[in-house]
Amino acid sequence: MTREDISSKKPLYVLEKIRENLERLNEKMEIMIELQRHGNKEIQPLNDAPLDVMTLLSMPDHLRKTAMTICRCGRATAEEVSEQTNRARAVESAYLNQLVIMGYLKKERKGRKAYFYADRDS
Amino acid sequence: MSKIVAVHSYKGGTGKTLLSVNLAATFAKHGKQVCLFDLDFRAPSLFAILKVNNAEFWLNDYLNGKCDINKVIMDLSNNIGGTGNLFAALANPSTEAIREMSAKDRKWEMRALGRLLSLRNTLLNDQKFDYLVFDTSPGLQYSSINAIVTADFVVVATTGDRSDVDGTRRMLRELYNLFEKKTGLVMNKVLDPTSKSKRDEMDRRVKNVYQVPMLGLVPCFCEILRAEGNQIFVQDKPNHPFTKILDEMARKIENNEVN
Repeated sequence: MTREDISSKKPLYVLEKIRENLERLNEKMEIMIELQRHGNKEIQPLNDAPLDVMTLLSMPDHLRKTAMTICRCGRATAEEVSEQTNRARAVESAYLNQLVIMGYLKKERKGRKAYFYADRDS
Repeated sequence: MSKIVAVHSYKGGTGKTLLSVNLAATFAKHGKQVCLFDLDFRAPSLFAILKVNNAEFWLNDYLNGKCDINKVIMDLSNNIGGTGNLFAALANPSTEAIREMSAKDRKWEMRALGRLLSLRNTLLNDQKFDYLVFDTSPGLQYSSINAIVTADFVVVATTGDRSDVDGTRRMLRELYNLFEKKTGLVMNKVLDPTSKSKRDEMDRRVKNVYQVPMLGLVPCFCEILRAEGNQIFVQDKPNHPFTKILDEMARKIENNEVN
């Protein structure tokens, strides 16, 4: 790749980075909105809490639906979860991130997509 | 459409295993490819009913991550008539295996749930099975709740016994509803359900008390007791009223008519 190629791609690269950062900012805001809506009491961070059936039973309904979908899919984005639950992507994104904070799910970024999964191997 | 059917109850002795075996055999008689699972790891019984004395791999091994599900399932199609196929995945009946399964921790149960859920891909999607039927242990135990979470449809076996009614009602409200499961109730060991008015009254009572649809009403048949679990009843007695009731139940599930 020549010097000219790199310099012509730079604005695109910067824009891509800005978009990634905005998406992360958006996710954080969605979590804050959810925290305000449901109160902080149900979101207690835990370390490696297993997402077993007893945990699913004890969850509030709105989180159970999301967690069950991840259990069924194994690994999914907020968009994929929202297609199954018929709720908005932003809502699912907030619930999924809550489940990550609570220690029930893990999150992995691949390019622009964030995948959520229950870590069954550790 | 319901492809994974779990047969469950609040109390033991309600006829779950009898219903599971005969429902699976009825699906197979209807030309379907079916696999019956013994998920009652505390009191395995399918090995005795299906007369399998030895197995190289058990369902326990699959859930422990020691083998593929295809090593566990055995073809019992010769035992049934029709064009379908009946397979079974059995629980290990040895005392050591029962003890080991009773001592599993929550992480293991989470992995077991993952392995049960993956049967949908391996058996239904890839190997084109039509139905998976789970025979479960009674009450709120990990293995039975794992089965319920995995299932599309739960057959709830109950009797008129007072000690069973309250628990079943609570379970419907606090377990199946929370997991948004489709359920159908089977009232088993019913005395004298000969007249239509008696059957209609039972139907109304089930809807009032349990608020779920009735899948079937099974009278108390002496012939079933006499068989002592030595046969697949719907196969050996094709013209018996019990066989016809199971036939109707299977058709309701196949045609998605449980409302």
